Amino acid sequence: MKCILFLSLLCSPLFAADPVEADFYKITTYATPKETALEVGSIELMPDGKLALGTRRGEIWIVSGAGSDDAASVNYKLFASGLHEVLGIAYNPKDKNLYATTRYEVTRLIDTDHDGRADVFENVNDSWGVSGDYHEYAIGSRFDKAGDLWVTLCLTGSFGSAVPFRGWALRIKPDGTMVPTCSGIRSPGGIGFDADGEVYYCDNQGPWHGACTLQHLVPGSFQGHPGGNVWYDLAPNMGPRPIDPIPEAFQGERSRKENRPDGDPDRMVTERERIKQLLPPAVYLVHGKIGNSATAIICDLSAGKFGPFSKQLFVADQSHSNLSRVYLETVNGIKQGVVIPFRSGFASGIIGGRMDEEGRVFVGGSDRGWGARGGKPFCFEKCEWTGKTPFEIHEMHAKPDGFEVTFTQPVDPTSAGDLKSYSMREFTYAYREQYGGDEVSEILPKITAATVAADGKSVRLTISPLTQGHIHELHLDGVRSADKLPLLHKVGYYTLNEIPTK
Amino acid sequence: MTRLLFAILLAAAAARAAEPAVFSLKTMTAQMKYDTAELVVQPGQAVKITFENGDDLPHNLVFCQPGTDTAAMAMKQMEKPEDALKRNWLPDDKRIWAHSKMLNPHEKEVISFSAPEKSGNYPYVCTFPGHALTMRGVLKVAPVGDTLHDLQFALYLGNWQQLPDFSKLKPHREGKIDDNLLQVKLDDYKNEFGVVFTGKFVAPRKGPYRFYLSSDDGSRILIDGKDILAYDGIHPSGDIKEAGIPLEKGEHEFRLEYFQGGGEIELYAAWKGSDFQITPLSTWLHPKWKGGTKKQKEFDPIPLVVKDEAVVYRNFIQGAGNRGIGVGYPGGVNIAWSAESMNLALIWRGAFMDAARHWNSRGGGHEKPLGYDVLLPTGEATPAFFVTEKPEAEWPKWDKTKRYEGFHWLGYSLDTKRSPTFRYTWQGAEIEESFAVEGDGNKPDGKAKLIRTIKVTGKLPAHAWYRIGNGSFESRDGSFVSKGSLPYRITASDAQLAGQNLVVRAKPGTMTITYQWAQ
Repeated sequence: MKCILFLSLLCSPLFAADPVEADFYKITTYATPKETALEVGSIELMPDGKLALGTRRGEIWIVSGAGSDDAASVNYKLFASGLHEVLGIAYNPKDKNLYATTRYEVTRLIDTDHDGRADVFENVNDSWGVSGDYHEYAIGSRFDKAGDLWVTLCLTGSFGSAVPFRGWALRIKPDGTMVPTCSGIRSPGGIGFDADGEVYYCDNQGPWHGACTLQHLVPGSFQGHPGGNVWYDLAPNMGPRPIDPIPEAFQGERSRKENRPDGDPDRMVTERERIKQLLPPAVYLVHGKIGNSATAIICDLSAGKFGPFSKQLFVADQSHSNLSRVYLETVNGIKQGVVIPFRSGFASGIIGGRMDEEGRVFVGGSDRGWGARGGKPFCFEKCEWTGKTPFEIHEMHAKPDGFEVTFTQPVDPTSAGDLKSYSMREFTYAYREQYGGDEVSEILPKITAATVAADGKSVRLTISPLTQGHIHELHLDGVRSADKLPLLHKVGYYTLNEIPTK
Repeated sequence: MTRLLFAILLAAAAARAAEPAVFSLKTMTAQMKYDTAELVVQPGQAVKITFENGDDLPHNLVFCQPGTDTAAMAMKQMEKPEDALKRNWLPDDKRIWAHSKMLNPHEKEVISFSAPEKSGNYPYVCTFPGHALTMRGVLKVAPVGDTLHDLQFALYLGNWQQLPDFSKLKPHREGKIDDNLLQVKLDDYKNEFGVVFTGKFVAPRKGPYRFYLSSDDGSRILIDGKDILAYDGIHPSGDIKEAGIPLEKGEHEFRLEYFQGGGEIELYAAWKGSDFQITPLSTWLHPKWKGGTKKQKEFDPIPLVVKDEAVVYRNFIQGAGNRGIGVGYPGGVNIAWSAESMNLALIWRGAFMDAARHWNSRGGGHEKPLGYDVLLPTGEATPAFFVTEKPEAEWPKWDKTKRYEGFHWLGYSLDTKRSPTFRYTWQGAEIEESFAVEGDGNKPDGKAKLIRTIKVTGKLPAHAWYRIGNGSFESRDGSFVSKGSLPYRITASDAQLAGQNLVVRAKPGTMTITYQWAQ
């Protein structure tokens, strides 16, 4: 009997065939050069189908053949070495040179004799401070549509800023001048653009951050951590220094579980009213569920070659070794949206990532310093669509009285129209100086209607109440596709910064 | 029944008799490690641990049963992250028997517990997601071994460089040691004496044993008349020597010979069996025996090897400010340039740099040169160029919060041998600096030279000086030789001493300066 049970357990996946991520997105792990530990920190596309990889060990490798279906045809050539951590690499089509963002400098690398190795290392801009603290990472972007390069600078440690512009986002103009652009950054893990060229970065859980976040870098904005605001005097273009958020608390002493409802609840949504420059995170990358250590931001501009998620963002995580998917919309001029798990199982902690025009996502990273689930100390990998469309939430739109959820495939109207197929939980994080924080102010709203569209591609949910500033965690456990399949990922976390009026 | 109860009481009393084990254990900043890899306690011993989170991430300290796959246990929480979050990432797992809270950065907690009664290796780990692979250690629970019995000493007087043949000498004085612990401050003799200790010990079972020995000056241990471990000669008690020996169950003869020349007097001996921990046999405990803890290992070195091309290494180099650029040249001479002060900061010989500090964990901290004979001709991150009417004046010193005014860093280009030419501007003039090596810095003959070429293009301000040395120098054979503890020689045409400054009047054109270790 036991034996039969065991056998049937073994066989069941063959028959039940609940889809898994790997059915739709395939990961290829490349062998890496033996002479180094290829701790990928940044990835850029080169015009001839090659890639440039910047590493934490300060090397830049030019990779050819990574686009090939044969992983063995990948080839590496060392272009530069000895740089102080390359956490940003950008190809400039105008001068055809690579630009590296390193610990204290944006460097232009020129191969004057065309032997495949850089021989001129020009300082493009080094006008920010570096105090020697390990935490002071510098993460650089690619060139934006104006030809600017963005640099986000980690604070000195978690709380303060010892030297100029730690905790800021800077723009480096084509002439090499620097423009202080956003304050309030804590510990950036990656920077990237959406399909419209808007700039985002990922911040990491810590003081003033209950969870990792995806944040919209709007010039002039304050991104939430006041540690770097001491440098407003050096940034007259930014206007007056924002008033500081209240460091801690104040609906009573937390440890004594006091309840003082009239106190300041230290919520982002309340502080936004006081601090006019404060821009809330576009999406909370819910701690422990989406990730712990957000890094690269990858936009799908492949026009369908990476599957049904055109123009959406993919956010990598170092400690979870995964990619999550973000759909953003603009409500009352503020970016907000939903994050949904996408693909786990990368070999190491993902730090750098980039998608090519053919819809191939190249990622790489290392587990160094924070640990990673993948288990390997470093990796360089490719993630591709298999051509099969997963049954997934496609988009999630905020509505005045709820949400509209669209799907990648038509739904089964019975299950999708059944209120019991859904559940929702709302929560937020305290906006406070202490490290991280719990999910607080939980609300379990009522789902009062689930109306399936005539084409079966979307469902309109009526929710009571919606709560501004809360993360709306939607579970769709009962929803089935027309083919009676469950969703590949049954949860989405929508950050409701603004409730639309129509 | 009564007898059994009595035995239990006795065992409890024995356990209680041990002093509480008091430890402090910290998480290391930015390394995803505890500072302590091993704690050693006795079964049932009271343990008090002051756990301090020195890192910028939350961490806890969770003790598990022997054999627990702690990484898998911590990872399992991810199956139900909502529940794990509610438990603050403390796994719901029966194998956990003691734990701290999840400490925020820079918090501290004192935890107390009784060590398990059962001997074994009890892993401890941080169960915050992703931390368990590296942030872990072992609590070793093992009884202490027996000490010596019937310990006698014989004191000899004499002046030796090595252990003498005590059997041919006549003891000055003999006696019994009441507490049965080896100790050399037996008498008022501070110098020129020797002691032979003899006693017995019982090996609880047949098997391998290990003995440990350190002394100032020489010593050796003999078991059953056989020489097993020696640390002879005149020396400080820097190392602990150790040796293994298989022993039959039962009583054995122990003999330790020691002699003192002059200066410090120390003697440490200990032993360890397969079922008991390192047990001191002496009153003095060697500082490397950390009272039951073993510190975390440093990283394995990653030396950057210079072959036939120069190697550039930009990172935090000790003595070169925060914008250091190390260059290892073929020929065993290395420099660190500062892109902070636009100046040569360090010169050294031999090996180039060890990247292990920066290429492990989060890469924090300043690494010192891997080679030797490190010269800092003008100090850390201080510029060479300066405008002054008095060249003996004090040159600008590094203010870590500011950049030097008037300087602009342009970068560097590499020649065919990958040697960099550094470029910067100062007061509008363009400066290029490059370096060449003559001789072999890896050879001890001291003939290796570093030749520095400075090219100035454009107009310089009046009273511009270029400082090439700072400290005490004397003029000798057309060169200037520093009078510091590591003498070196600077040669440059038109160099002049102005107080503590060795300077050249800065002017457009080319200057050549040679640095050489003095012979």
